[in-house]
Amino acid sequence: MSVLAPIICDNGTGYSKVGFAGNSDPSFVFPTAIATRGSASQSSRAPAVPSKPGHLASKRGVEDLDFFIGDEALANAKTPGYGVHYPIRHGMIDNWDHMERYWEQTIFKYLRAEPEDHYFLLTEPPLNPPENREQTAEIFFESFNIKGLYIAVQAVLALAASWSSNRVTDRTLTGTVIDSGDGVTHVIPCAEGYVIGSAIKHIPIAGRDISQFVLNLMRERGEMAQVPPEDQLRVASKVKENYSYVCQDIVREFRKYDEEPYKFFERYEGEHSVTGRKYGVDVGYERFLAPEIFFNPEIYSSDFLTPLPQIVDDVIQQSPIDVRRGLYKNIVLSGGSTMFQHFGTRLKRDLKQLVDRRLDASVTASGSAQRSSGVEVDVISHKRQRYAVWFGGSLLASLPDFYTSCHTKAQYDEVGPSICRRYQIFGSST
Amino acid sequence: MILLEPHNVIIQTTILEKIQKPGSLDVVFVDYDNVRFHLSTPERKTVLLLSMNIRCWDELVQYGALDILRREYGSLLATQVEPEYNVSLEIDLEQVPTDAESREAFVTSLALLKRNALAAPFERGFDTQKQLESAGGQGELMQIHYRDEEAMYIQAAPDRVTVIFSTVFREETDRIFGKVFLQEFVDARRQPSIQNAPQVLYSSRDPPLEIRHVPGLRNSEEIGYVTFVLFPRHFTKSVAPSTISHIQLFRDYLHYHIKCSKAYMHSRMRHRVTEFQKVLNRAKTEVATTERKTASGRTMLSR
Amino acid sequence: MVEALGSLAMSNVLRPYLAAVRSTLTAALTLENFGSQVVERHNKPEVESASSKEVLLNPLTISRNENERVLIEPSVNSIRLSIKIKQADEIERILCNKFTRFMMQRAESFIVLRRKPVAGYDISFLITNTHTETMLKHKIVDFIIQFMEEVDKEISEMKLSLNARARIVAESYLTAVSNCLT
Repeated sequence: MSVLAPIICDNGTGYSKVGFAGNSDPSFVFPTAIATRGSASQSSRAPAVPSKPGHLASKRGVEDLDFFIGDEALANAKTPGYGVHYPIRHGMIDNWDHMERYWEQTIFKYLRAEPEDHYFLLTEPPLNPPENREQTAEIFFESFNIKGLYIAVQAVLALAASWSSNRVTDRTLTGTVIDSGDGVTHVIPCAEGYVIGSAIKHIPIAGRDISQFVLNLMRERGEMAQVPPEDQLRVASKVKENYSYVCQDIVREFRKYDEEPYKFFERYEGEHSVTGRKYGVDVGYERFLAPEIFFNPEIYSSDFLTPLPQIVDDVIQQSPIDVRRGLYKNIVLSGGSTMFQHFGTRLKRDLKQLVDRRLDASVTASGSAQRSSGVEVDVISHKRQRYAVWFGGSLLASLPDFYTSCHTKAQYDEVGPSICRRYQIFGSST
Repeated sequence: MILLEPHNVIIQTTILEKIQKPGSLDVVFVDYDNVRFHLSTPERKTVLLLSMNIRCWDELVQYGALDILRREYGSLLATQVEPEYNVSLEIDLEQVPTDAESREAFVTSLALLKRNALAAPFERGFDTQKQLESAGGQGELMQIHYRDEEAMYIQAAPDRVTVIFSTVFREETDRIFGKVFLQEFVDARRQPSIQNAPQVLYSSRDPPLEIRHVPGLRNSEEIGYVTFVLFPRHFTKSVAPSTISHIQLFRDYLHYHIKCSKAYMHSRMRHRVTEFQKVLNRAKTEVATTERKTASGRTMLSR
Repeated sequence: MVEALGSLAMSNVLRPYLAAVRSTLTAALTLENFGSQVVERHNKPEVESASSKEVLLNPLTISRNENERVLIEPSVNSIRLSIKIKQADEIERILCNKFTRFMMQRAESFIVLRRKPVAGYDISFLITNTHTETMLKHKIVDFIIQFMEEVDKEISEMKLSLNARARIVAESYLTAVSNCLT
């Protein structure tokens, strides 16, 4: 085994997941943040470069090495002289100077890998402009001299991650991906490894909104009176992560709680982050109401009212007719906000109802006695959902095909950055 | 970050995490210079097995690496080495020191596994120098082929220890940047503040005298030789460990900074290109860009 | 001090050179819309397609010294301007190469920039009649001149900063090794 494991880098808006192929979890998960010298305000244009090159700054010479990334960046946010920047906005790289240095330190300080010895798998959001791929390739091949590069679409990797589930029998890259992180939820249809761009839909409800909703509920009930104001949101998100689940029927769930409150109410114990004073809160209805905002958004928001199953159905109906069956059959969850218990079952049930109702309606409308054979709807949940994109990358990069699908340094030198406009799908058995 | 750290961050963070919360684990990762690690819990959740594969293991053993590892890790060294790896440590999480400070030190020492293994030829070189001081003569030329194309040579003499690195630059840019950097290494000792530093010599193509007789040296444009001359003051008891840590990371340090400079050049060029862009944009005449719309709000384009 | 004097002397030589480029370029930028005489309904920059000889004008080289020169190739509807940038040593050569490549990679947004330089030169611009019609002619000339002025400066600054960096890197490494003595 002379080849070292490829490095998988999934840089998201909020968090970056990096590690080596073959592992089941990323080695590092830290915020995509970089703390550099200089104020945060003058960030937009070339902050690293002295505004007047050739002046004092370039005499000293290595200011651009004075920075922190990830958790260290946030820890240094308050240090005078440092400003924190987030180089990725809405999934796309916004500040290339910061991003290049972010990668630099990821590789050399955290992964401790000599990039010349490694292949890299990077991820990109759907509908990423090809110019961004070119710039990424330019950085990785020219600055870091990496051996080979593969840039994969996040949604496709999420599909690949679902192969680890034992319910998946054929390794297909056709399916609908529901990717819900902290900021926004995407519903992305993929056909044979290619994203159907025109049918993608975004939902403005994600992890942050759920936490806020939990916080509102608990404030209304007066639970939060005990909790110091600066900790309240954190407590709410802990409650969300540890106690929430998706119920099948809200009314019945409310009744259950009323009959046996001691059985269903949970208690969360916390500690004030500064003074160390202990406090506890009761966790009640928010346990099942929190994830409910995906299915009944009207309980939280007044401007976005379409439930998630309806959106998924719309997305699939907008996709080409010949892939729709595949899309219904393979709905894959990815991201932290899809981790709620029974999330998949509920989504499947609601979606199935929508589909069946439409089939019945068309049977009645046509007036014929012939019935449709039905459409198979299946939602795949699996253990690796939280870092599904990264895990999918790890899985694909451990396949022998990976090396032949990569663009190598030699090819880059021959063709130039435009080589990354083309890429080849591999790994699927269909 | 200017200097590279000698310890491995993944080992450090993972083991600290597992001490807090034992759980099953199976990860592979790397370190500089083709070192591969495997950290796993093969039997119980509380017993970690840390295995390392290092390219030049046979050479290191020859120069006493096992003794050093035994000195550093003692009973942690597993008798049964994991297949495909060269050395394994068995860490029982239940026997980790409990107070924070010594636990920290323990974990850091684990994270220095690669450094300690590579320290062997250095320590032997330093010891040989002590012996030669009275006896005279030349020490054995130790060769460590730590990368596919690059090697490290250590030789003791009565008054010094010479460490020679061969470095290969595959890219032309790297070669030229590397030359600039190495030239500065040679010149840096003129600074009064660092006159005590080891002497650095650099030659491209021609191997230095000490290793000229070694067979199989390539003689091409891309190869260069860096020689560090360490005098006894650089490896007294108290400073030897830190000297070893720094010297063995020399190659990675050099390449790290070459890459950083290229990244810096990139940001400079990005800045300059946007400046040029602004100048060119001044040439553009203002075109009235009022959008034409139909009653229903659709945009009309003139053809 | 010596360096400052040197750059002063240089700028004295530089000025007539740039003035020559400026006036030649301004004179050459008399372009008109001109369809191909060979293929119906084609309208291509004649200097590139070179399909009919009579619309090509005499190319002209302005040399500052053996290493720096500008080639201007005028034609009826387009002109091509190629620059050979000063490269004193291999560091400057590699930096110049990197910089021009980086810029040509972004040729899309530079409109008048050619994606490949003409053989024997480092960077080329192609200005067509469409450009002179939609943009201010004298400002295009200003851009080219400013580019020529600054590219030299940028490359020598990059070289200086590379040297400065190398020095710091070497010093900090050796300080780290020798510091243990104290």
